[in-house]
Amino acid sequence: MAPRLRGRFVLPTAAMVVAAFLAASAQERGAAPATPGQPQPAPQGRGRGPAEPPQPTPRLADGTVNLGRVVGEKGIWNVPYITNMGMRLVDDSGKPLAPAADPAGRGRGGAPLGGGEGTAGGGRGGAKAEPWVPFQPWAAAVYDYNSVNQSKYDPEGYCLPPGGPRMFATPYPAEIIQLPEQKRIIMIFEGATHIWREIFMDGRPHPAGDALNPTYLGHSIGRWDGDTLVVDVVGFNEATWLDYFGHPHTDQLHVVERYSRPNKQTLHFEATIDDPGAYTKSFKVAWDIPWRANAELSEYICQENNKYLQRLTDDFGQPVFGK
Amino acid sequence: MKTRLAVVAAGALFLLASVPAIAHHSFAAEFDASKPVKLTGTVTKIEWMNPHAYFYIDVKDESGKVTNWGMEMGSPNGLMRQGWSRNSMKIGDEVTVEGSRAKDGSNIGNARSVTLTGGQKLFAGSSQTTTP
Repeated sequence: MAPRLRGRFVLPTAAMVVAAFLAASAQERGAAPATPGQPQPAPQGRGRGPAEPPQPTPRLADGTVNLGRVVGEKGIWNVPYITNMGMRLVDDSGKPLAPAADPAGRGRGGAPLGGGEGTAGGGRGGAKAEPWVPFQPWAAAVYDYNSVNQSKYDPEGYCLPPGGPRMFATPYPAEIIQLPEQKRIIMIFEGATHIWREIFMDGRPHPAGDALNPTYLGHSIGRWDGDTLVVDVVGFNEATWLDYFGHPHTDQLHVVERYSRPNKQTLHFEATIDDPGAYTKSFKVAWDIPWRANAELSEYICQENNKYLQRLTDDFGQPVFGK
Repeated sequence: MKTRLAVVAAGALFLLASVPAIAHHSFAAEFDASKPVKLTGTVTKIEWMNPHAYFYIDVKDESGKVTNWGMEMGSPNGLMRQGWSRNSMKIGDEVTVEGSRAKDGSNIGNARSVTLTGGQKLFAGSSQTTTP
């Protein structure tokens, strides 16, 4: 295996590539597909009518951009299903780094693009590590392993949280609730694990040393940069993937998210992903999240009847769990 | 397996356009998009549960042999956004389901759409479109 990587990651990585996936918890991370910042049209239903004209960005009484509902109205953010953040890399000017897909919808090596589970062969199709994603060698190897395995060990399939930017790439609706008088913002995610996240807006720093306990969603501190909410997140554990395609990450992951609402119907999401444990330099992903008016969150408890786990077999054809 | 006749071959366009998006787990680890199935049968059991609802149908082949198939759908929250309710399908109903068969050849499938007794056809996968 490759060169001298940071010692603490060599073992986990080797284990991963071989058999660590047998363990109940997932240990890698994937990260990075797709198409830059294009608005996602009407995710929820096929065949919805033409988009309505953009309405003005709503604001709170103090003038701050309102990233949530307008008083008296319903509405949720209709989070799109972005399976490969590699296709969402953008440069500093916001220009996509991934080559445009050909009309046949195929990516590198003839692998299908655009689908996650939605395309032939489940969307992976053996697609290899994207050359424009700054993988370290081990991270590229893990990614390729996930590809040939059709992402079968995706922690989300185990009903574990997506974690990190993947929370806004997993197709269950979300809400952002601003509580300025409490100096915090709450994000509620219907799926994939019915989870909430708190962003501290009171100016506190991240905890230092062992006080920063690694978690699925990390420790989030936010501030306003004009009309953009900037959230700095550290303290991630290594139990998630960056995306369904399986871009890995380590606990050195540092994410800076930028949220803006150019109009009422659109949340523009950007995440700068910096992980010196898995990538040679930081990179930025971006996409838009459409507003779904008149809708509300509902319950989704993934752990209830997860037959996928009961049927999951390892690389040797043996059951991963159960008998 | 004498259910062969129930397994309908379909064109390549089908593959690109209509494999259901499952937001929860790997589709390709379990199902084979190149093995489309279209089954008509009588509902024997319904599990209206997360992360995927399942229903089971008895399918009779030409020779009269009955095989029970289990079909996976989206989660109840997503299905309700697609127009389902927990009572859209009842035990004893005759339904037609289109989807993809399990890779291991067992009588398990991933449902893409279900045509209910009354003729209403509902999308059975995730509630969202898939983007790369």
